[in-house]
Amino acid sequence: MKPAGPLSPRYRAAVLLLWAALMALAAWQITRSTFTADLSAFLPATTDAQQRVLIDQIKGGAPARTLFIGIEGGSAAQRAAASRQLAAALRASGQFDQVSNGENDAWAGVGTWMFERRYLLSPAITPERFTAVGLREGIDDTLSMLGTPGGNALKGLLEQDPTGEVQRIAESMIPVRAPRTDDGVWVARDAGGNVEAKAPRALLLAGLRADGADLDAQQAAIATLRAAFATVQAQAPSLRLLVSGAPVFSVDSRTQIEAEIKWLAITGTVLISTLLLLAFASPLALGAAMLPVVTGVVAGIVAVSLVFGNVHGVTLGFGATLIGEAVDYAIYYLIQAGGRSQRDGTGWRQWLASGWPTVRLGLLTSLCGFAALLFSGFPGLQQLGVFSLAGLVGAVLATRFLLPVLMPDGARGMGLRRQLGHASRVAITVLPRTRWLWLALGLASAVLVWQRDSLWDAELSSLSPVSKEALALDASLRADITSGADGGAFVVVQGETAELALQHAEAASDRLEELVNQRVIAGFDSVTRFLPSLQTQQRRQAALPEAAALQQALAQATEGGPLKAERLAPFLQAVAQARSLPLATPETARSTAIAPLLNALMLQRPDGTWTALLPLQPVAEVVDLARVTAALQGVPQVQVLDIGGELGRMYQRYLGEARTQAALGGLGVVLMVAVALRNTRRVLAVCQPLLLAVLLTLGGLALLQVPMGILHLVGLLLVVAVGSNYALFFDMLQRGGEANDDTLASLLLANITTVLGFGLIAVSDIQALSAIGAVVAPGALLALLLAAAFIPRTPRPQIKQSNPA
Amino acid sequence: MQTRRPDPAQASRRALLGAALALTGSAVWAQGAATKFDLTALMAQLAQRKGGDARFTEERTVTTLDNTLRASGRLSFQAPDRFARYTEEPRAESMEVQGNQVVLKRGNRTRQMALDAIPELAALADAMRGTLNGDAAALQRHFNTQVSGNAARWVLLLTPLDARLARSVQQLEMAGTGAEVRSIDLRLVGGDRSLMLIDAPAPATPAPR
Repeated sequence: MKPAGPLSPRYRAAVLLLWAALMALAAWQITRSTFTADLSAFLPATTDAQQRVLIDQIKGGAPARTLFIGIEGGSAAQRAAASRQLAAALRASGQFDQVSNGENDAWAGVGTWMFERRYLLSPAITPERFTAVGLREGIDDTLSMLGTPGGNALKGLLEQDPTGEVQRIAESMIPVRAPRTDDGVWVARDAGGNVEAKAPRALLLAGLRADGADLDAQQAAIATLRAAFATVQAQAPSLRLLVSGAPVFSVDSRTQIEAEIKWLAITGTVLISTLLLLAFASPLALGAAMLPVVTGVVAGIVAVSLVFGNVHGVTLGFGATLIGEAVDYAIYYLIQAGGRSQRDGTGWRQWLASGWPTVRLGLLTSLCGFAALLFSGFPGLQQLGVFSLAGLVGAVLATRFLLPVLMPDGARGMGLRRQLGHASRVAITVLPRTRWLWLALGLASAVLVWQRDSLWDAELSSLSPVSKEALALDASLRADITSGADGGAFVVVQGETAELALQHAEAASDRLEELVNQRVIAGFDSVTRFLPSLQTQQRRQAALPEAAALQQALAQATEGGPLKAERLAPFLQAVAQARSLPLATPETARSTAIAPLLNALMLQRPDGTWTALLPLQPVAEVVDLARVTAALQGVPQVQVLDIGGELGRMYQRYLGEARTQAALGGLGVVLMVAVALRNTRRVLAVCQPLLLAVLLTLGGLALLQVPMGILHLVGLLLVVAVGSNYALFFDMLQRGGEANDDTLASLLLANITTVLGFGLIAVSDIQALSAIGAVVAPGALLALLLAAAFIPRTPRPQIKQSNPA
Repeated sequence: MQTRRPDPAQASRRALLGAALALTGSAVWAQGAATKFDLTALMAQLAQRKGGDARFTEERTVTTLDNTLRASGRLSFQAPDRFARYTEEPRAESMEVQGNQVVLKRGNRTRQMALDAIPELAALADAMRGTLNGDAAALQRHFNTQVSGNAARWVLLLTPLDARLARSVQQLEMAGTGAEVRSIDLRLVGGDRSLMLIDAPAPATPAPR
């Protein structure tokens, strides 16, 4: 390649072919990628054991598979009938492993399991239980229940279970906070007293069989629910269905993210195309300008897909902002390469000499900024970082190598550029006079930010793409069904094997039982109530006497009592059977009626170890975790978790870490600029507007009382990354002597596209995107204005110029 | 009620009530005779008591058992919504109802649950609390009410309205003197029966014995 002439056809063909081949490869990789909308990507990934359990549970546990369902409208009888019909349809569909609506038959399978295995499940089973004294005690206990409305149910079991083991197991499983039951089904409680009247609701709780991560299966199950309700509704048209829960959120946000991406991509493309057409008046230029954009987006997706194994929907939405940035490179190129009157295919060389070094430095500083995201604890943010890095590199490479091949002399048309350039020139003569105004505003912002102590108070929910209305419905249905005792405190027990986890859970249960008696907690659930450890099952089995011994003890125990031994032959038989009953393990129980309970309360982690979850029910509002922790002293591998609190603390810690990372990212940008410019004055000139832009953006947000979260912080980092490019350009103009109108126009155009790109995501319904957009759009505009306002007034004559223009 | 066949337990209760009646003034008797004594009047009378403790003895007849089961203990009530039964003999157990919350204690185990999650239990608790409070609405929510007798000596018969409750409870009959409930006779479907006789209550200031 000769230095002066146009590019050789062979080189051009080679570049085009290479690009086409890379794009084809990338397209292939993209078709193989999985796209997710899993919200937990925006929860921190961490190696802390306590938090890992938490994330495990949030990702795949029962909460991720549970639907909260309400039926409103119609009469109470219609709602009750609808609840039964709907529950029956859901149970029959096979897509749900547990449907509860207050009907007793929902638990028939579990009841059978408990009845058949009562001598291995009841905590009362000890050798003493089968002595004459023990039997008499047990029988008296059971008899004391008879003659009451509740005892009527036990009466039929008397001969088979005279010592009341079923009763003993069942009472341990009484839910502390079941919904109100009316006409045999769950209904919402009245709001009561002065609270505004609430529409009466029938309630259902449905656990999906599908894994929490399998969105397609979840979507299908929700569709089944809606279809089943449509059938019910055909008979009672005034009924309404309310559905909430994690599966609905996941499926809806996937749909929403998909729609949002489409909208962003289309609107973004249309807006920026219009702008480019105005600027170049050339469809060809428009097409060329889009190439770095497409290359960047494709590179970003492929990089994320390769690094993470999946691409998050929010990452794609964020990619829309890259349109605004990547198109900048094309704009600089097209304008600067087309700046000469001569059109001999060597215009790109002029760009290579004048614009390229600045673009390159700008790229490096942007990369510095985005690289900070890679160190984030949130996989979702890491994806944004990788996407941005790869996307920007891809866009810059396409600009550097592809555009000279396709449009060696830049863009021909002038469009409105003359007017843009003129406006820019006016602006850069006026803006420096407003410096004091900006400095005053900056000072005011600093005071404002310093005074607002609750600046960083966005909740964790601000990361969630779920709308406020959906969250409100969710809270209302949850409160109805669980009476506010859901997702609160847990005791988490671990073990290398299922058996160990169960043994540890039993140890924890014993302590928790004490706390229930002391009314520290109102109750708790444990997998060991229906699936004890093998050790315990064996111990209970060993306590069961031989037939002859039992018969003898029973004769003694019932002598003179109201229940004659002759009637108790079924009891003798049941004990004899239990002596040889095969013991149950999580593996064998997996295919039985208790599977839903087992899945909800016991998890096997990817590393093969087991975790048992023991949800705690507070007596009043919250559980006294300190007392629970104290009571569990000495139980192996046990932790006490408060989900809401833990998530909040985790978020706060990551917010703190993210602030450090953002500061480091900003410092990286400054260092990069310093290394490239090697001149304190110039470095200051570049950094001053950046600092002010960040300060003013912060001040604006503080003034508007926007609760700031981790995403706003990311936005500020982007302001520095993007803004540094503008400041560097002004630095270049300063050193190039005269700033021609075209360069100024390209700068203005680039800024407008960026502001538009981020402005678009600022109005997105996805909170994660709108937070970033709302910071970067005004921040980038401020960065440009400030860069223009703070051009050094008397540039020092330079002896040595690094980039002869 | 008059149509029911007589049985010894009821006869002894009647005798007891008769004795109690003899102690009450004739003025009350005259007043009761003068105006018709109905649910409203009974409720107004009962509403005057704001709480108290009383000892009880209970006899239960269960069709499948040979002997009668006996229990005794203490009842406690505090307006408006706290009611508790502490059984002392033959074994210690308790049921405390407050608002919508029930706490059961048997042996060394404590269980808490929501009253309205178990409608049958809620209805019976409402029957107890409604009577002790003089809350006609609470009673009529679940039962047909029928009042007989007069202010000094009355009988309140409750029969379930709800078909589900009627599947287990046949009727509940409370009898009392003045503002005090003196007996609770619960008859279950299938023939089981529980009769609680309540001693004259202690003064309103609750003093656990």
